[in-house]
Amino acid sequence: MYELARKALLMAEKAGAEEAEIYYASSHSTGVNFKKDSLDNARDRFSEGIGIRAVVNGAVGFASTNSARELENTVEVAVAEARVRESDPDWTGLPSNGKYPVVSGIFDKKVETLELEECIGYAMALVEGTTELPGTLPTSGGFTRAKARQLILNTNGIEIEEESTTVSGFVDVITINGDTSTAYDFAISRSLDIDFFALGKNASELALKSSDGIKIEPQKTDVIFHPFAFSDILEEALAPSIDSDNVQKRRSGLIDKLGEELAVPELSIYDDGLFEAGIETSASDDEGIPSQRTTVIEKGVLKTYLYDTYTAGKAGVNSTGNGSRSSYMSPPAVGLRNFIIDYPETDIIADTRSGIFVNTVIGAHTANSISGDFSVEARNAFTIKDGALDKPIKSLMISGNAFELLKNITGAGLDVRKVGGIITPSIRISDLSVIG
Amino acid sequence: MAGFMQDIKFYDCRIVEGSSTSIILDNGKIEEISKNFTRGAGVRALCGGSWGYTAVEGEIDLKQGVEAASKLAFSMNKNTPKEAIELAAVSSPEIKDLPEIKIDPRNIAIEDKVDLLKDIEANAQVKGVNSTKVMYLESEFKIEYRNSDGLECAYELLNVGFAVSAVASENGVYQAGRESRFGYGYELFEKENVMELAGKAGNTAVELLKAKTPKGGEMPVLLDQELAGVFAHEAVGHASEADLVLEGDSILENRIGEQIASPLVTIVDDPTLHEFGYYPFDAEGVQSRRTEIIRDGIFNSYLHSRETAAKLGGIPGNCRAQGYSMPVVRMSNTFVDNGKAKFEEMLEEIRDGMYLIGSRGGQVNTGEGIFQFNAEKGYLIKDGELTELIRDVSLSGKTLEILNHITLVGNDLKMTAGRCGKAGQLAPVSDGSPHLAISKVLVGGA
Repeated sequence: MYELARKALLMAEKAGAEEAEIYYASSHSTGVNFKKDSLDNARDRFSEGIGIRAVVNGAVGFASTNSARELENTVEVAVAEARVRESDPDWTGLPSNGKYPVVSGIFDKKVETLELEECIGYAMALVEGTTELPGTLPTSGGFTRAKARQLILNTNGIEIEEESTTVSGFVDVITINGDTSTAYDFAISRSLDIDFFALGKNASELALKSSDGIKIEPQKTDVIFHPFAFSDILEEALAPSIDSDNVQKRRSGLIDKLGEELAVPELSIYDDGLFEAGIETSASDDEGIPSQRTTVIEKGVLKTYLYDTYTAGKAGVNSTGNGSRSSYMSPPAVGLRNFIIDYPETDIIADTRSGIFVNTVIGAHTANSISGDFSVEARNAFTIKDGALDKPIKSLMISGNAFELLKNITGAGLDVRKVGGIITPSIRISDLSVIG
Repeated sequence: MAGFMQDIKFYDCRIVEGSSTSIILDNGKIEEISKNFTRGAGVRALCGGSWGYTAVEGEIDLKQGVEAASKLAFSMNKNTPKEAIELAAVSSPEIKDLPEIKIDPRNIAIEDKVDLLKDIEANAQVKGVNSTKVMYLESEFKIEYRNSDGLECAYELLNVGFAVSAVASENGVYQAGRESRFGYGYELFEKENVMELAGKAGNTAVELLKAKTPKGGEMPVLLDQELAGVFAHEAVGHASEADLVLEGDSILENRIGEQIASPLVTIVDDPTLHEFGYYPFDAEGVQSRRTEIIRDGIFNSYLHSRETAAKLGGIPGNCRAQGYSMPVVRMSNTFVDNGKAKFEEMLEEIRDGMYLIGSRGGQVNTGEGIFQFNAEKGYLIKDGELTELIRDVSLSGKTLEILNHITLVGNDLKMTAGRCGKAGQLAPVSDGSPHLAISKVLVGGA
């Protein structure tokens, strides 16, 4: 369908669109997956499609397809939808004048040309890592590599094409003797720089360490969140309030808070579409706006919300390059790029006399995305005693508020990790309420 | 065909073609109208103990797809040979009793749909609400299934539904109310009192502003139908999926025939019901059928694919996929069956505790049998009476303990439509329950 993209743009104009945009995306992924300690399946997936935005009289219609035969019909549907809508006074137009930065580290030829046998090797390394120590078995997991290509064209002259690669590994393990405990590890990268054996081994060690957990009394204490746990909470309880669309629709906990001291002064947060080899790095966002680095929180002060072209037009500001799509099937909406948490790093566990360390949480998606309130079940949690992890905790609920967290950060670890697009060290929060 | 084809014992193809329409109305304005046409196929091939799977979109060459999947399976088996996978035998499904559609949504003009949404939204805008959103979804698809044993079958389905949400705020506090309904035909909007539901979403948001966050701890709890349904699906249903059992990731492994729940509890998965999880045959062409997962407290059956049924002994019919993704074992319409208790009786049984209503989602660790769910709202129960409204309450604990702590099962089963996200794929499901009284559970609050 790649070769039909230009034709589709002409079709849209012919069908009566005053402005039109073609978003083409394709991907080819190969995954090798295991169940218990043996390989179960290999999967190859080819996906390709086109999404069309058509604008008539300041109103937008959207339609998409993966079938060349349906393309003409799809274009017409997009134009017809635009005609059904009333003119939107907030619509200022599709992006134009794209001058793109150079980004690096997002495409690795080796990933693109990986043979199935090599994929099998990486999946086996995950399994072998888990068997390094006796007492655990993997339950499931796998290795995946993917290559993606996208092309954005619009009637304002935008034309940007990019290619990228990703590799990822995931492993879930369970203890086989005595008290049952589980753990997982996960990594995603643009190139083959992941130590898959170490991922398997880490998961296995963590599951073993988590066995025979103790019960603790309800209390307020210092909690250190591993990057996995912290990114999960940030994404569900904080990020939605930075989204300008939510702000404009009065669904954000950060309305009218620009310029306010939101967090401790040691904390800065950046949204960065240019970060070297980042999972959310690209020259352009998903509607053709050049990527940029945006300071969201500077020394504790909220500097800006994140915008796509539409919400920026509505607010009378420039897009921050956060137009994002989950696939060619959706029109762009505000989404995070690489979201970088910056706080002075120290050996955080060693610096903590007493408290709790939490590796992962479950239930972060149940957070109240407006108020920032969350209540999660902590997994693979440990007590901290005199600067070291002490005993595993069997079951632990942590309740809090994402905005309060920002004010109560008292430290960060040296263990910065890319959790998808969120890049963060372990973060210590004082006085959190926990129920054992 | 290539030389390795002789080692391929089995292959199958699912061809999915369809379109979906969504309309989103946000604060009185059309936010989005979009339509998506898709066509694609998923092909599986089995060689010894390994599966190969290929998915292609757009114009499909099935022969090429079968070859590609077969090559993957062959290479996997050659590189890491293991015991051959057997598949439970099946016969051609009978396609009957599809949900009847009285009003075809495709015959309703898009302008009329927008007008309906505007009415719904207006009803959600009760005093105190400052933001509303309504979403309409319509999807039609045709699924064709073929396998190397000569089985061929097909069906078409058309769903419609809507979701409405309202947000109220006061002094920096934001609360939301949500309602949704999904079904098979535009008559859904006549059958369900959609305007009343929209009003309910608005009222919930406003009421929650005044609600308190209670003190957490262990206590007796009454669960409403929706939250109890989420428990049935998340905590019990997933642990009964035989693929997880075989991975060693379920607390229900080796428990068939054991009393694992209060004898009042029967939990069923039934894809033949015309609820949102309906299908006439599954992703392996297997006739859908009702399964009693727990009968009178005794663990009765896992949910199976053809592979897991052959391995563990059981009946297949619960293998499902989103679109043309690789199918996995999963639920359909899952519910706790009706008991006899009346609501008032249950309040009396709880005496002092909480009544938890609705769900903002949940998660479960099937291997350890631990779950966590957040309720939308609740009430404190004092001396057997509902008192103060509460919010931000969550429920967590061990699945098997909760099952044994169920002291009363209500007589008011209600189903709720949703989507289950197992294996990174979304599949339509419904879950439900009557009210459940639980003698002791950990509630998280302030």
